Amino acid sequence: MNAPTFGPTSYHPTKGERTSLEIKDFNLWYGAAQALFDVAMDVQVGMVTALIGPSGCGKSTLLRSMNRMNDLIDNLRINGAIRLEGDDIYGPAIDVIGLRKRMGMVFQKPNPFPMSIAENVVYPLRVDGVTDRALLEQTVERSLKAAALWDEVKGRLKENALGLSGGQQQRLCIARAVAGDPEVLLMDEPCSALDPIATAKIEELIDELRGNYTIIIVTHNMQQAARVSQNTAFMYLGRLIEYGDTKRMFTNPIEARTQDYITGRFG
Amino acid sequence: MTEIRSGRARATAYVRPKQTSRAVRYADKAADIVVTVGGLFVILAVAGIMIFLVQVVVPLFTGGSLNESREYTLQRPEGASLAILTDDTNVLAVEVLASGKTRAVHLPTGTVLASPTIDLGGQKITAFSKSIRSDDFAVGFADGTVRFGQIGTRSTLIKASDLPPNLVRLNDLDQTDGEAVFHRRDAEQFQRTTFSVILNEPQAVAPAGRAIAQLDYRVGGTVERPTRSFLTKDGDNVLRLTRAETRVNLLTRRETTTLESATLPAMSGSGTIIGALMTAQADQVYVARENGEVLRFDTRDLGVPKLIETRRLTADGVALTTIGFLIGEQAIVVGGSDGSVNVFFRVEDAAAGTSDGHTLKLAHELERQRAPIRAIAASARNKAFATADATGVIWVRHSTSARVLMKLGESSRTEVASIGLSPRNDGVVASDASGRLRFWAIDIPHPETTLQTIFGKVWYEGFPEPAFTWQSSSGNDEFEPKLSLVPLIFGTIKATVYALLFAVPIALAAAIFTSQFVHHSVRAVVKPAMEMMASLPSVVLGFIAALILAPIVESFIAAVVLVFIALPMSLFAAAYLWQLLPPASALRWDGLPKFMFMFVVLFSGCWLSYAAAPGFEAVFFAGDFRSWVNGTAGSGRPFLVLLLLPAGFLAASALVRRALNGAMRDRVRQLGRTRAGLVDGLCWLLTLVAGAIVAFVLAYVFTAAGWDPRGGVLDTYVQRNTFVVGLAMGFAVIPIIYTIAEDAMSAVPEHLRAASLACGASPWQTATRVIIPTAVSGIFAAIMIGMGRAVGETMIVVMAAGNTPILDWNVFNGLRALSANIAVELPEAVVGSTLCRMLFLAALALFVMTFVLNTIAELIRQRFRRRAVQL
Ligand SMILES: Nc1ncnc2c1ncn2[C@@H]1O[C@H](COP(=O)(O)OP(=O)(O)O)[C@@H](O)[C@H]1O
Ligand SMILES: [Mg+2]
Repeated sequence: MNAPTFGPTSYHPTKGERTSLEIKDFNLWYGAAQALFDVAMDVQVGMVTALIGPSGCGKSTLLRSMNRMNDLIDNLRINGAIRLEGDDIYGPAIDVIGLRKRMGMVFQKPNPFPMSIAENVVYPLRVDGVTDRALLEQTVERSLKAAALWDEVKGRLKENALGLSGGQQQRLCIARAVAGDPEVLLMDEPCSALDPIATAKIEELIDELRGNYTIIIVTHNMQQAARVSQNTAFMYLGRLIEYGDTKRMFTNPIEARTQDYITGRFG
Repeated sequence: MTEIRSGRARATAYVRPKQTSRAVRYADKAADIVVTVGGLFVILAVAGIMIFLVQVVVPLFTGGSLNESREYTLQRPEGASLAILTDDTNVLAVEVLASGKTRAVHLPTGTVLASPTIDLGGQKITAFSKSIRSDDFAVGFADGTVRFGQIGTRSTLIKASDLPPNLVRLNDLDQTDGEAVFHRRDAEQFQRTTFSVILNEPQAVAPAGRAIAQLDYRVGGTVERPTRSFLTKDGDNVLRLTRAETRVNLLTRRETTTLESATLPAMSGSGTIIGALMTAQADQVYVARENGEVLRFDTRDLGVPKLIETRRLTADGVALTTIGFLIGEQAIVVGGSDGSVNVFFRVEDAAAGTSDGHTLKLAHELERQRAPIRAIAASARNKAFATADATGVIWVRHSTSARVLMKLGESSRTEVASIGLSPRNDGVVASDASGRLRFWAIDIPHPETTLQTIFGKVWYEGFPEPAFTWQSSSGNDEFEPKLSLVPLIFGTIKATVYALLFAVPIALAAAIFTSQFVHHSVRAVVKPAMEMMASLPSVVLGFIAALILAPIVESFIAAVVLVFIALPMSLFAAAYLWQLLPPASALRWDGLPKFMFMFVVLFSGCWLSYAAAPGFEAVFFAGDFRSWVNGTAGSGRPFLVLLLLPAGFLAASALVRRALNGAMRDRVRQLGRTRAGLVDGLCWLLTLVAGAIVAFVLAYVFTAAGWDPRGGVLDTYVQRNTFVVGLAMGFAVIPIIYTIAEDAMSAVPEHLRAASLACGASPWQTATRVIIPTAVSGIFAAIMIGMGRAVGETMIVVMAAGNTPILDWNVFNGLRALSANIAVELPEAVVGSTLCRMLFLAALALFVMTFVLNTIAELIRQRFRRRAVQL
């Protein structure tokens, strides 16, 4: 096979929709190694956007750049811009903690705190100093319902969250993420550690949450991307290869590499 | 097989032997054995130390043991028995009889030896008194005269070659020439023991013809000016106290004796007088009546002896049968017709209404014997004594520990005539009127220690009430060691508490800082540096604390106190100022400049404390901290205001926060960083003022209610004090607490930190809400291990703590810890002595304390580890 030739780095899906996150010519280096190359994409409000691509192509890196979780990493260098509703995330005036309050995040591995189920859910409220019991209780119920976990745990809200199964823990993390009233929900392979039944539940959940939240989900399960997302971005070796409407991407990809990846020729 | 394999496409160039080599297996087995043996050895060593300590300590609680008992039926002696005594080695017992005859008996065999008859000029002894510790004795006669003298056994060592010829064999070890006993010590040496009496000329005391019925005799004063005091009671119940002072002219060697005499006030009431006693200084006289009353006379002024009090010392309907002193001639033992034996002390008690402000109090109530008490024999070494009842049963007891050490002759049915406790407390001898002589070789090595005397309050002679006291030795021979471990355990706890109060906040703050807030490259430098602090020998820390820190703290005490307030305040102020900076500058100066800024703040905080100390001292401590703290100057109110300030501030800020509801806060949030900061600052200032007002009001209310912050934790200042120990020991334990706590916090999985930060928590919120709760067991274990270290710490407390075994929470006073006590007193303790065993008990207590602390810490750590696996 010939060396891959890279085409245009971004395709903009259906114009006219409101943009939530705007990524502009974003480059990122871990020390000397560049992990993201000129990524540019607009994420639309209220849609589920899937990031797909082979392992190590920079999906998680891109996701972490969006809520500046990358700040924890040494020798990280970026250039370009990411804007959330017009605010420059890497601008000098940005309040990073405030930014993270606007973006909930669900990690690849479920990471509930070693506290009670209820405390896990209301953690974002606790951080904000909320002491109103009624509000806390309402939040627990509503967020757990939103995460389709309420029926399973309503009798044991005071129990330690570590006693839950993996799938339940992940849904608890989603409940925690939505309890903080975010605008954007970032999910990094939320189902990779789960069994098929739990995965199905989470997928259902993502579908229900759509509309209220802008959701960006990293996955390397093509079927999942096809099932839950409206838009899909395909990344390869740190570049955004193709970005567009999910149905179109899976039926009629423009780029040859997208085609190869989707049909399982590599990855 | 190989063919098949070689035919396959192999993914490696290596053909692996599928059998473990013998060398590997042997090494594995050997390592297994070595590790097992090593582990077992460690466990055995620890258990061995424990068992050893226990085994050394157990004799403290076992009372006495009987080595052998002998009973001889001898010829009935002529005349009543006055006293019986034995020599140091229990080979010879001598009984003194009223006729002036004496009876010497070889104790191991019951052989009666020749012994001198005291020449009394045909008189009969009517009263006899011998001091407890010395050979001095006095006898009174029917004609009203008294004679003094010395009575006792004499022992000399002689060489085998100097043995007189024609000795009669008594037993394997002993021979006699008929009078003296020659006891073989070893092949070369013999001990010659004889009995001797010296009697001085008679002195007329009572009117002629009035028999002396009771006599008590004390020898005191110095070698140059010996004084003899004696109390006599004649047939007319007249008590007379006589003091004879002899002066020896150093040049001429001439002795001049002056006699002073006083008749005690006549006693009202009736009742046969059982005994009359006089204290060592002859300043108190006790007269005991059969009806149980004891009359106490004050004879400090011999010109005017006074009757101070009359108290009944036995229960209703119980007759007083015998009375006697214990060694030291202060404590009175009273025996009753119901077999009761009680010890009374003369103690200060203004409420008693006596003219000298003292009264007799029951100090120790001992177990009752089954028949009336007939005789008391006090030990010449300690507060042990023997009591014989009417049936001849003899109990060996101890006053301070109030316990019965031995019960001897339980089957006896005949009354004793005299009993004696041998000089070394290792034998009891008793004679009957029938001539029977009984002897018990006993062993009561540690009569004074019981769990009660070691861990409970004990009433010692000369103390107004029971107390926890540690005082193991003094210059005086008659001194009773006071061996309560409570002040020492208290000292250990006190030192530990104050050290941890200082160390824990610093160590934990440092652990949070390096595990959560700094770049790991900083951590890589700071952590080993902190750990290196642990390698500073504690003796060096103690040395510095005692010789440098203690004087500095003493001279700059106000500044030191101020530092504890000023430093945190200036750090808070600095943090506040920092977050006022525009974000861009804050970001730019985030690294080294921020660090430098912190140091500048620290140093200026210290300098400020130093500069402001005089003013601070003037406002809060009446200008002089040390006289303020011991209560001689100033009032407690200003300092109380200072103490209540944080509480007032909290209350005020809660109020302010409630007043400024959400809407207000939202508006503030929209103002932008710098201006929002200013508004915040204003709020804060407002809260501070409100808090100060609250504190002021509270302080007034408290002081009006009579509460003063002084007394208790803050009290009289001494140079070597717990505050200094706390600082020095704090430095010793900070590294260990820091390291373990830091490890625990660093071990909190990164994904929890990430989860918290992603939820919009600040790093500080993440630390306090997620990291610390998750690592809490590790942090707790760190504190426990630090505590274990502080409990066992020795050199710092030896050097800087003043070594005063007192029960007092005062930070500015000293203490004596268990460990320091062992180090300080070990050189003085004779192997096998009570003190030595007590030190081992202290060691055991220390061992148990640190063992328990470390075990708890380890259990918590294991639980923590198990939970960490779950995360
Ligand atoms: N903390 C890090 N430091 C250095 N390199 C990293 C770090 N995280 C990821 N990388 C590198 O960046 C590239 C992209 O990684 P990642 O975003 O995790 O890929 P994906 O999530 O798509 O599998 C990989 O080559 C990876 O090795
Ligand atoms: Mg990834």
